[in-house]
Amino acid sequence: MTETREDIYGEVSAIIQEVTGMQAADVSPKKSIVDDLDIDSLSMVEIGVAVEDKFAVEITDAEMPKIVTVEDLIDHIEQAMAARD
Amino acid sequence: MNGILTGKRLLITGVLTPSSIAFHVARLALENGAEVVLTAFPRVSLVERLVRRLPGPAPVVGLDVTDPEQLGNLADRVGEHFGELDGVLHSIAYAPPAALGGNFTTTTWPDVATTLRTSTYSLHSLSIALLPLLRKPGSSIVGLDFDSSVSWSEYDWMGVAKSGLESCARYLAYYLGPQGIRVNLVAAGPIRTMAASEFTKEPGDDFYATWQAKAPLGWEADADPVARACVALFSDWFPATTGEILHVDGGAHAVG
Repeated sequence: MTETREDIYGEVSAIIQEVTGMQAADVSPKKSIVDDLDIDSLSMVEIGVAVEDKFAVEITDAEMPKIVTVEDLIDHIEQAMAARD
Repeated sequence: MNGILTGKRLLITGVLTPSSIAFHVARLALENGAEVVLTAFPRVSLVERLVRRLPGPAPVVGLDVTDPEQLGNLADRVGEHFGELDGVLHSIAYAPPAALGGNFTTTTWPDVATTLRTSTYSLHSLSIALLPLLRKPGSSIVGLDFDSSVSWSEYDWMGVAKSGLESCARYLAYYLGPQGIRVNLVAAGPIRTMAASEFTKEPGDDFYATWQAKAPLGWEADADPVARACVALFSDWFPATTGEILHVDGGAHAVG
């Protein structure tokens, strides 16, 4: 797998923008997805589903609440991809 | 694809997340030969993503079940996909936070009204809106219930709404029976869906453990057995059953 953390961030940011209509400048790694970006729970589900489809990884219902920041989401994707590959 | 729903056309509401009971009903229905159309609210784009995970195509129609205009043209919008329906899944419930979570004694009428309108009256309004498309005789309306014969911690006005849903289903069974339309509910044990997370804040809390211990068959909080029961009720294998509440709860309701 050649995808860098930077690549993953770019794709996650694009997904967040697509789902929420937010601008790229509003998304940053340290921001809390629900509190800072003000994303409602169903939009968060949609981001999760889009991430699962894009990266072929799973985010279980138990894992979802532990993902708070954009960075947490990227960490999860990296770990899940490493475990898969 | 062959299965007990071959040739059946179903409208399925309530696909909200991948863990929704309705998502599992749609999956199993497709696997068993049905064609399905899904309704979506509030995020149509989310439901469209979830459709790609189903084992077959499913058109998506937006539907806010509390909007009379959307209900008024629902049959026309569904009719663009299917000229006739053999079944409808009602998997719709909502209560504002003020009507749940231990707030029962202080809930005010506007929040109660929202709960009842969305969770109880919608079985009536959805069924009547789709009546022109329902095959007569032979159609099956199935709703999702949670046992309301007793009170539950924190379920509050949703419990009242489910009592109303049970009665509403019996009246629909009475009024639609002469046209050969069956109306039944499936009372599921607790499942970890987004709807359930609104009143059980801690995943794996005592509520699930208690249910598992009480149920003679045990209870894994798995949506699949619930979806199977719905599929069975949509099939031709319950031709003389209406106004019924089928418990899919590991048998917990039957023991004290």
